Amino acid sequence: MVPLSWYIVLSAVLFSIGVFGFLVRRNLIMIFLSMELMLNSVNISFVAFSHYLQSMTGQVMVFFVITVAAAEAAIGLAILIVFYKNNPTLNSDEINLLKG
Amino acid sequence: MGIEMKEVVFIVVALLTVVPCLIVAFSRNILYSAFSLFFTLLGTSGLYFFLDAEFLAIAQVVVYIGGVTVLLLFAILLTKNIQEIKETNALSMKRAYFAGASSFILLASLIFLAVKEWKFFEAGPGTDYPFLTLNQLGELMLNKYLLPFEAASILLLVVLIGSLVIAKRAVK
Repeated sequence: MVPLSWYIVLSAVLFSIGVFGFLVRRNLIMIFLSMELMLNSVNISFVAFSHYLQSMTGQVMVFFVITVAAAEAAIGLAILIVFYKNNPTLNSDEINLLKG
Repeated sequence: MGIEMKEVVFIVVALLTVVPCLIVAFSRNILYSAFSLFFTLLGTSGLYFFLDAEFLAIAQVVVYIGGVTVLLLFAILLTKNIQEIKETNALSMKRAYFAGASSFILLASLIFLAVKEWKFFEAGPGTDYPFLTLNQLGELMLNKYLLPFEAASILLLVVLIGSLVIAKRAVK
């Protein structure tokens, strides 16, 4: 029997890798990828708790997280492509139009 | 206590999830990162199967691998600018130290919390779900969680229309 703590540690490791990628990257698409990693790791811990507490609520939550993640990816990438057409850069250091 | 078959399978699936995840974070090539994300999501789907959440595993494959990964690949190919990708993908050392330190502190504190609450984690009965999880899931979605379910459907509609509007503006 796999103990619950293994899943929690796995989820923590994935989340930390996601945070590392989020902080270290300067390409907006890579920042998106890291965000998906973080959402995914949280989903793993939701499902693990749902399994070990014998409650389906965690799985319902994961459905909503997946919905929001898909929506975020669709809108975010659409905005990103429109932005790229206006000024061709994806470097997060150079995107400072809203800086005032 | 010997290592059972189930634990071996878990470790294999966990490695299938973590190793591509590391490639996502460290690879210099953005396309390699996107393809590694594919394998990470596949490994996560395997973990869901392992946790008796079959429907969720299938939904993960359909939504993430069929939708999000393909969308990401399209975005990468539509915004390809080799010179700039090389420049932005290089790990700057200052940034890497900062990010490494902060994510390590995060990982250490998460694992510290997990170790502190170890007893709680091991208290679970750890048996299997009742046979048909899909029925329960549908009942929960249409009774207790009806409002969030409808809100999610409205969110998806808004996203559909919104992305069309944004894309149309780009064509002009």
